[in-house]
Amino acid sequence: MSGSDDDGFDRDRPPRTGGRLDSDRRQGTPYTESQVIMPTVKIVAPFAFTYGLFVTFHGGSSPGGGFQGGAIVAAVVFMIAFAFGIEATRQWLANTVVVGLAVGGALVFAGIGLVPVALGGAFLQYELLPIPDPVKYGMEGVEILGIGTIVAGVLMGLFFVLANGFSDAGGFADADAFADETGGPGTDDPDQDSTDDPTGEDGPTGEDDPTDEAGSADAGAPGTAATDGGERR
Amino acid sequence: MTGTLAAGATALASIGSSAAGLPAPPVAQVTAIEASLFVFVVLTALFTALARDVLAAVIIFGAYSLGMAALYTFYRAPDVAMTEAAISAGVTTVLLLLTLAKTTRRQHEAAFESVNLPAAGAVGLLFGGLLLTMGDIPAVGSRDAPIWSNPDVTQWYIAETYAETHVENAVMAVLAAFRGFDTFGEAVVVFAAGIAALIVLRREVFA
Repeated sequence: MSGSDDDGFDRDRPPRTGGRLDSDRRQGTPYTESQVIMPTVKIVAPFAFTYGLFVTFHGGSSPGGGFQGGAIVAAVVFMIAFAFGIEATRQWLANTVVVGLAVGGALVFAGIGLVPVALGGAFLQYELLPIPDPVKYGMEGVEILGIGTIVAGVLMGLFFVLANGFSDAGGFADADAFADETGGPGTDDPDQDSTDDPTGEDGPTGEDDPTDEAGSADAGAPGTAATDGGERR
Repeated sequence: MTGTLAAGATALASIGSSAAGLPAPPVAQVTAIEASLFVFVVLTALFTALARDVLAAVIIFGAYSLGMAALYTFYRAPDVAMTEAAISAGVTTVLLLLTLAKTTRRQHEAAFESVNLPAAGAVGLLFGGLLLTMGDIPAVGSRDAPIWSNPDVTQWYIAETYAETHVENAVMAVLAAFRGFDTFGEAVVVFAAGIAALIVLRREVFA
């Protein structure tokens, strides 16, 4: 707990402006590259992202729609976060984007619903929208700009807010938030650590791998090895 | 030759139906892939319930959701299948894994939970009671199913959706147009879930 400034989380991080996600600036902290996961995600992510957009935009003519497409788009962000580090992705994809997607989607949905009301009709009465083929494109607008963006934004937000404090060192760096509730860092008994350590090692999924490898790499890094055991909860 | 084959098929079907105590058509229509998917789904559901290790249970649960998504595809509900695959198999698994990473995870000697026999008996009774109602459920794709035999609802949507809304996906037309106000409520619920997560975790920003 003493080395809370050394955990490489949120403090000595380069500013979030500029640079590719896989550049050295973004990946400045000890986050071990997985030779399998990172190239795989690099190849798969554009296709999955395009598929998510297709499912959203083509929902009127094929199975899918805003909910499914938004979930797929959010899942692409999860995938990128697991490959390139949750903290790096969090800063690459600023809070403004996440909040803007969720709030903007809700506003657009309500706005499309309220335009017919302003024109003397009922809520979501698409026929009154002042656009060509109003029912079809009103629905598409609600699906794409409303539901899709809400779902994508909220799912990304839930992911980042749950992953809050998940440091690149393979544990939760800001244990302070938990320590406040559990009675301080003193509750970290070594017994807990010993049960926690194998967590990353026997996880059969690939998704658990980045955590594991980052943790073992970090243990060898100077300055953080001493705090590693105490920080992992 | 064809006569004997048909007779053999009838005999097989009658054996199958008498053995299962169910009407023959649904038993006969299940293909090998569907049958193996059913077995996979039931097994993964059982392992999810019985696995002692929470991480293992979460991962098996993701596999269960993937099996369900494949099953939905085979039963021609691709919209539901996409949702199941993206939300249940993907997003929920990731969120549960993250939650696990935030908590401690105990190491267990035994791989499976010990089964509480009275509870298992109660669940078995309930399951058996539900199985008894299976005979009254119409076969998949049957013309006698209420969802098809009611011409005022399902068939009206199938016949009139394109004329009314100019979109070909009737599911989306129902969601966004015919019951658009409900969908607005659902979207707001999703939005509220994000806000609620922020409040519960006492944060002011997502990322």
